[in-house]
Amino acid sequence: MHSIFMKRQNLILWGAAALVVACLSGSGLTPVQAQPTSNTDSSSSTNSVAVAAKAPDAKPAAVKTQLTGAELYSMHCNRCHPERYPTERTAAQWKTIMLHMQIRANIPVEQSKLILQYLQDNSGR
Amino acid sequence: MFGLMAAICAVGISLPPRATAQVSLVDFNALKETVQKLSEQVQSLQQTNVIQQQTHEKDMEQLQRLQEKLAETQQIATNAEQKSIAAAQAQPLSREPIDEATVNHNFQILGDAEFQYVKAAGQHGAFSLADFAPIFLYRGGDNILFEAGFDTTIQNNAPASGGYTTTFNLSFAQLDYVMNDYMTLCAGELLIPLGTYAERGAGWLNKIPDDPLAVDALLPGSGVGAELRGGIPVGDAGKFFNYSVYLANGPSSADGTGNAEALDLGGNVGVRSDDTVANLHGNPSLGGRLGVFMPFKPHYDLELGISSQSGEWDNAGNHLWTAGVFDAALHLGPSFEAKGEFIVTRFGSDDLGQISQQGWWVQAGYKLAGLNLEIPVINNLELVGRYDSLHNAYDSANNAFDFNTQRYTAGFIYYITNTLLFEGDYEFLHSTDPSQVGQLILQLSYGF
Repeated sequence: MHSIFMKRQNLILWGAAALVVACLSGSGLTPVQAQPTSNTDSSSSTNSVAVAAKAPDAKPAAVKTQLTGAELYSMHCNRCHPERYPTERTAAQWKTIMLHMQIRANIPVEQSKLILQYLQDNSGR
Repeated sequence: MFGLMAAICAVGISLPPRATAQVSLVDFNALKETVQKLSEQVQSLQQTNVIQQQTHEKDMEQLQRLQEKLAETQQIATNAEQKSIAAAQAQPLSREPIDEATVNHNFQILGDAEFQYVKAAGQHGAFSLADFAPIFLYRGGDNILFEAGFDTTIQNNAPASGGYTTTFNLSFAQLDYVMNDYMTLCAGELLIPLGTYAERGAGWLNKIPDDPLAVDALLPGSGVGAELRGGIPVGDAGKFFNYSVYLANGPSSADGTGNAEALDLGGNVGVRSDDTVANLHGNPSLGGRLGVFMPFKPHYDLELGISSQSGEWDNAGNHLWTAGVFDAALHLGPSFEAKGEFIVTRFGSDDLGQISQQGWWVQAGYKLAGLNLEIPVINNLELVGRYDSLHNAYDSANNAFDFNTQRYTAGFIYYITNTLLFEGDYEFLHSTDPSQVGQLILQLSYGF
């Protein structure tokens, strides 16, 4: 009975490991993609979503995305706690808090910098 | 004017000399007077013409000066625009810091405070908790951070004695050094990344006032050691891997023996009561977590993680304590969240041999604002639910036994503000441990 229970645990652990490995290899899940747009004039866009050039075979255009600080802020901060308004802190305070959050949530540095820029641009002072 | 003079001359020339002799004196004087008047008019017109020419020249000079000024103004405007564009490109929309000192060094106090009312089945209800949990952050420059969290609570003194006791616990205290974009070194009293609950779910962060059973019963929340951690982005769409690898003193034996009931998950902080600095057993535990975060679009994402820790726990170093955790968190829009963990631990002992324990929990929350009902009270409500399962070897009094507990929790969060929350939950409990009972929890929590 005990050995059966342990075998089941091993099975679950190996299964979980296999799932993570599958995710690491990028199979089975689709990363963020902006919705394709009919407006191919990327220069007229005010956000940072860039539209890739159309392939010669006229397949639907692949879309390359560069998330903004505001998007990353809404993506990451709300995962663990209610969103805090940028005006709640000063620019210097946000710098300290974002360093704390970057380490605590293992947020990549480049994403953390974009979030910090957004928070400081809209900070209380 | 010149035409008039020419006509007069022509008339004079065309008149024959004989005719001149025939002009009377009166006519001659009249003609002379006419010629004089014409001459005066010619002079007047010439003077007027000179004045007009002078005025015209002045106007032209003034016009030229105005054109020069206009050119200067346009040049200034062009230079200002170019400077503005260059400044914007160099530092887009950045704000100047308040002063230089706050750029290099900054001290912050964050944290949370909770106040609870609990009514357990078969017991009197009571206001049961006043918890103040500040987090101190000190940043030195861009790469160094010291952070420490405390938990201050009160509790009644022992039965038959009056008054109450204030407890003051160090939850974590660590020094962080960002070595590069992909690696940060942390050292001190660390929150152990077995799963994500200890680091990201404690206190007011969790949507339900108390911890999952398995997290409290099976895992160490913190430990003294050193850790390397970081995030590695993949592409520009927000996806990234994250990792943590650490060495910590790890669990120890409360009485030095290898008996199962002596397992102490939270002790072994490196300094003994006799001021000796030593690990209570021979070697530290090794642990780590590997996670992947996959966003589909803002507010739609999935995070999966797997973590483990293993190391000897008894003083003789004869037995290993090992834990494995699989964690997952899913967000489908700004209103829906689900997360959970599966936890397995195993350790050897002198008296009971190999002991395995396991538990899991899954929790979901839905913010009614997602229904777009435009009703203020409804919009501030979030419904939450959780299922807990724990199979452990000890009851709450540390008596060896085989216990199975299932707990169902249903509740709500009312967001008074984004940081002031009123939470209410009822826990339905089925357990072979008679000390476990269902309870109602009301909590007011504030994050600052």
